[in-house]
Amino acid sequence: MRPGDPAVRSAASRAAWAVAVLLPVVALAVLCGISFGAGESSLGAALRGVEPDATVLWKLRVPRVLLAAEVGAALSVSGVALQALLRNPLADPFVFGLSGGAALGTATIVIASGTALGAAALPAASFFGLLPAQLAAVAGAMAAALLVYSLGRARGRLDPTRALLVGIVFNSFASALVLAVEAIVKPDQTQAVLLWLSGTLGYEAMTLLAGAGLLLIIPIGVLVALAGRLNLLALGDEGAEALGVDVSRTRLLAFFAASAAVGIAVAFTGLVGFVGLVVPHAVRVVTGPDHRVVLPASALGGAAFLVLADTLARVLFHGLGAEPPVGAVTAVVGAPVFVMLLRSRQ
Amino acid sequence: MTALLELRSVHYRHPNAREDAVAGVSLQVHAHEIAGVVGPNAAGKSTLARLSCGLLAPDRGEVLLGGEPLPRLSRRERARRVAYLPQDPPSDLGFTAREVALMGRAPHLGLWSLEGMADRARADAALAEAAAAELAERPISQLSGGERQRVFLARAFAQDAPLLVLDEPTDGLDLAHQVHLVQTLRARARQGAGALLVLHDLSLAAAACDRLFLLDRGTVCAEGPPKEVLQAAVLGAAYGTAIDVVSHPASGALLVSARITREASRDTSPITREKG
Repeated sequence: MRPGDPAVRSAASRAAWAVAVLLPVVALAVLCGISFGAGESSLGAALRGVEPDATVLWKLRVPRVLLAAEVGAALSVSGVALQALLRNPLADPFVFGLSGGAALGTATIVIASGTALGAAALPAASFFGLLPAQLAAVAGAMAAALLVYSLGRARGRLDPTRALLVGIVFNSFASALVLAVEAIVKPDQTQAVLLWLSGTLGYEAMTLLAGAGLLLIIPIGVLVALAGRLNLLALGDEGAEALGVDVSRTRLLAFFAASAAVGIAVAFTGLVGFVGLVVPHAVRVVTGPDHRVVLPASALGGAAFLVLADTLARVLFHGLGAEPPVGAVTAVVGAPVFVMLLRSRQ
Repeated sequence: MTALLELRSVHYRHPNAREDAVAGVSLQVHAHEIAGVVGPNAAGKSTLARLSCGLLAPDRGEVLLGGEPLPRLSRRERARRVAYLPQDPPSDLGFTAREVALMGRAPHLGLWSLEGMADRARADAALAEAAAAELAERPISQLSGGERQRVFLARAFAQDAPLLVLDEPTDGLDLAHQVHLVQTLRARARQGAGALLVLHDLSLAAAACDRLFLLDRGTVCAEGPPKEVLQAAVLGAAYGTAIDVVSHPASGALLVSARITREASRDTSPITREKG
């Protein structure tokens, strides 16, 4: 039997096995990410401190790869959690209205920065080096999560189907408003909103990245601790309840942990689609549905996936003098992979 | 001796319903005992089962597990005292039969819900008990209805609770597996377990249970050993149709069947007559 065979291994050892296999994959992806890019730069020279290679490495590529890894992990893990909540493996982390909320937050800031008062007040509002637009995205995503949570409840408990409907309606509502905003603001501002909506990795300060990484440990830790209970939710509310699971509390925790992870991710990169959908799906094909294995494996798989997608975007398009937003790459890669996975299920 | 399960004049009404689904039921299930709940559709059998394991809270009355009122038990403690088999377990699961059986160990696991060797051995033993050992590696979504039922029975057995509450446990099982299930429940009862079964098949209920509760419109209208409860007149009144009860000439087993006349015209059928 294979060493990873579920028949002979416990969930703990299968999770350890998945992590052991995926860590080198992440390392390899990171190595690709810092080796290749738009400019010619030698990794060896950079490590010896030769300029400008060293600056390119430490100021540009390392922060960018780190950002991609963090965002990829956050989106994948929240995708797994929300799919478990909805009992539907095809749910996307943005379905609960989070994307609409974040977009609305950013668009509001863009308009505000166009007014005299806004232009004066906004620089003062930056916080720990985060831009106002980023803070607005997080605030918008969390506000949407609260709205969906409060409207998506039935008999005092989060009803996933109801919440999904509220999320979808709210997303449409928000995108209509964002389109309206785009129609009235100046063209360069429209460009900024558009770039953000399509998901773009930028260059953030290392301290900020370290902070975000530490912050992400909380929701990811909560979700990994909930993994066993997320498995039981597949039995239905009564099935889980009969096994001693507090279904309301598990849903509440999983919903807000996933929303927080998505919020942190969108603050940096905007809406990077398909990662939270394709990565958990691909992971489940290999590991089976056990969340105690799927969650840690998706975190690592998501990190590797987004780092590679971003590297691909930088390498393939550097001849054109411009690079597509990483969200476009994840969509172009993700959509066919998703269709393939979907067909292989039958 | 303290009863494994005790209901004290329990009342329950579903939200937006006009009448109580369970209207003042008192009963006890003891160790070494298999009790059966029978009765017509919508008599409140499944509601009674869900009240018994704390999935519903009674509007009035009390439910006690092992002598302790349900509200005083934590969810996990409750799940260690009673295992529940729902009426139709989910069929679209990617989990294998072994993984589902292992889920029965959940109330015994710690913070990270990681099972040990003992839990895995217990789950495998439960699969064997439920005649589902050969299904262990198969995903639930690929099983037939009867196979799935055996796997979910294994999950309930793996929970190691002194009380089993099984709603239609023979649903989808062929005759051989029905016999196997009854024998398994008997063996568990000999070791001190108790069971409350919701059953439709009255002959099976007679063979499997020590005591029966005949439920009609939310109240117990007859209770006692199968021989006392399964009487043609009592059953006929509860079910609203003519029912025959005979003893098998060789085995002595009680056989219950509804009288079906092929020529039954519209006005003799009890259900249309009731409506008219």
